[in-house]
Amino acid sequence: MAMVIEARGLSKHYGETVAVDSLDLEVPAGALYGLLGPNGSGKSTTIRMLTGQTPASAGTATVLGVDAAADPVGVRRLVGIIPEQETPPSFLTAAEYLRFAGAVRGLDGIEEAAAWWFEFLDFGDKKDVLCKDLSRGTRQKLMFAQAFLHSPRLALIDEPLVNFDPIVQHDVKEFLVDYVRRGNTIFLSTHILEVAEEVCTGFAILHRGRLLATGTPDELREAGRHLPDVFLELVRQDRNHV
Amino acid sequence: MFELFVAMFREEWRIHAVLFGPAMFALLPALIGAMAFMGAFLVPVVNRALPAGDLAAIVHILFLLLGAMVGGFGLVGNEVMNRRFGQASFVAYAARALPLSEQRIFAAFVAKDTVYYLILWILPVIAGVALASPFIGLPPEAVLRLFLSLQLAFLAGLAGLFLATTVYGRSKGAFAGLAVAIVVAVGAFSLASGALPPFPPLAVYRDFSWPVLAGTVAAIGVALAVSLLLFRPQSAGGERRHPDRFTGLRRRLGRLPYPALGAKDLLDLWRSGGGVGQVLFSLLLPLGLCWFLLSLLAPVLPSHGVLLLFAVLAGVLASTMYTWLTAFDTLGAYACLPVGVGDLIRSKLGLFALLQLVPAGVVLGAALLSGGTDVVLPALGLALGVSAWSVGVTVYLAGLSPNVLVYDPRVLLTYLAGVGLPVVVLVVLGLLHPWLGLLALVLIVPAVLVVRSGIRRWEAADSAFF
Ligand SMILES: Nc1ncnc2c1ncn2[C@@H]1O[C@H](COP(=O)(O)OP(=O)(O)OP(=O)(O)O)[C@@H](O)[C@H]1O
Ligand SMILES: [Mg+2]
Repeated sequence: MAMVIEARGLSKHYGETVAVDSLDLEVPAGALYGLLGPNGSGKSTTIRMLTGQTPASAGTATVLGVDAAADPVGVRRLVGIIPEQETPPSFLTAAEYLRFAGAVRGLDGIEEAAAWWFEFLDFGDKKDVLCKDLSRGTRQKLMFAQAFLHSPRLALIDEPLVNFDPIVQHDVKEFLVDYVRRGNTIFLSTHILEVAEEVCTGFAILHRGRLLATGTPDELREAGRHLPDVFLELVRQDRNHV
Repeated sequence: MFELFVAMFREEWRIHAVLFGPAMFALLPALIGAMAFMGAFLVPVVNRALPAGDLAAIVHILFLLLGAMVGGFGLVGNEVMNRRFGQASFVAYAARALPLSEQRIFAAFVAKDTVYYLILWILPVIAGVALASPFIGLPPEAVLRLFLSLQLAFLAGLAGLFLATTVYGRSKGAFAGLAVAIVVAVGAFSLASGALPPFPPLAVYRDFSWPVLAGTVAAIGVALAVSLLLFRPQSAGGERRHPDRFTGLRRRLGRLPYPALGAKDLLDLWRSGGGVGQVLFSLLLPLGLCWFLLSLLAPVLPSHGVLLLFAVLAGVLASTMYTWLTAFDTLGAYACLPVGVGDLIRSKLGLFALLQLVPAGVVLGAALLSGGTDVVLPALGLALGVSAWSVGVTVYLAGLSPNVLVYDPRVLLTYLAGVGLPVVVLVVLGLLHPWLGLLALVLIVPAVLVVRSGIRRWEAADSAFF
């Protein structure tokens, strides 16, 4: 099967801190892949390296066939990204920001797509409000819309659900499932293990920058296990181990 | 309130200490002191060339200018206080959870900034001069008076601009009225007495008396207090709505290399309360003061000397327009989009080139008003050439974060040397013969090269945003 993400020995050091430690990862096309792990385990750093937002200290990452280190802008041109800290630029309005993102991506006529997102995520009444003045959840909606504006074959999304209300969470989950059903791939980090268990087709668990386990919810189901239990067990074991 | 001040003070220290290392950051005042020490040895030389007492006036007005350059709190205040700005001032942000009024948080912020500027820039200069005083025949009493009067001159500029920007922020009409009133008052005084009105901080230095000192301190205190009272935090004002300006602006910038990025930067500048206010307070006002300062030197300069020196200063000041264009950017705005650091720098420089119409217009106006039309071309050449070179050096040294990296002594020193040396050469050439000023345009070539290697440098860096 074709791999849309391939990481080999991917590492990131911040001075003494090892944020990601020699990560090997493969994500097949069409997956809804969950990256799980406790706070500070390296999820966001991994996503930043895969999308060329920060250079790796060691190792390689190939995303949709593009080397993230050699051509970071090339990777970002292809994929959709929701960064961890949702900060759309200061002084544009929500609608202007989508036009801005579309223009930077060289898209023509994003008006229709933008209108769809305002409707779908139910924030059309905030179209003309400066991004600075939007609520957290609304900014997250904007970043969500921005990531999918160009219908990318692969989207890497960091904690996309946390700030959404239950109704939006539900709609967004359905959207993601449907999006991969149409042949695309989603790589998401999340703390909501129930969601991961429900929608993901594969997952990886990180702890202290190292890969603890990979698997699929189907495998767990066959073994009669639940993802939250497995997660707790693995992480606790690893904690005592060190 | 004092605890808040201390917390903000500590935070500011930590931000810079983490960025550059504590030793490096602490080195900044030492570096400034050392430069002032060396500069002080020029005092006897310059004093001989100038009419008696003018040097003191110039130095005090320079300090006033420095104060004015950092005193635009009324303009930037709302960004500082906007709870969603977050990044810029963490304590100002977190203090929202405490039972303190917005006014008090803002007051603590202004106090923190003022004390920082004093410690980092002003006191080191005074210390450098004080150290040099035995060698240049400056008596200890004079040093003591300078210690007071220079701080007062700086604070007068800071408080004056704080007041001006606050009034401007509240009502443009009131601001215009105030400006007209001041100009009329100063003009009337000059016409009646044949001299400019006295500048109290300078009077503290020249003929010290306790009443003058007390009066000056009181006036500054009143200006600060009134500004703080008048300042109206806007963050409680609810959601700001705007119709789409992006599309039209982007179309109009169609000739620039990155119209979309440029349109975003212009909207940032405009809607942040910058725009006109920024041009007024960060460019036109300082340039007005520069003109006034230089005109004091007119007797010792060759003809057109004032205009040509003014053009050089306009060039240096104009290069800071680049920092306006970077002030509102955060990595987050681009992290998810296919733009590289190089694209951002090139886009901002395109816009910067467009904005050079403003300093060019100022120099043109100055030439017309001062009867220097015959040297208008070299004056323009000087302004634009110096501006291009200075912005090139800025880009190389500081990439997209000039506001932050200026506090790194290594960056500051390299910048001063890199900009200062060619400027001195050009000033000498321009004073020798006005048309030699056109040589400044040659600087555009190395400026382009420096920008190119700067782009390579910041593209390779781990992060271009601080
Ligand atoms: N810019 C940085 N500078 C220094 N250390 C960093 C930086 N970014 C991340 N780290 C460190 O790297 C480690 C991994 O951080 P990362 O943000 O990737 O974790 P995460 O799994 O996304 O955590 P969370 O679930 O809290 O979002 C942490 O120890 C963090 O402190
Ligand atoms: Mg994270």
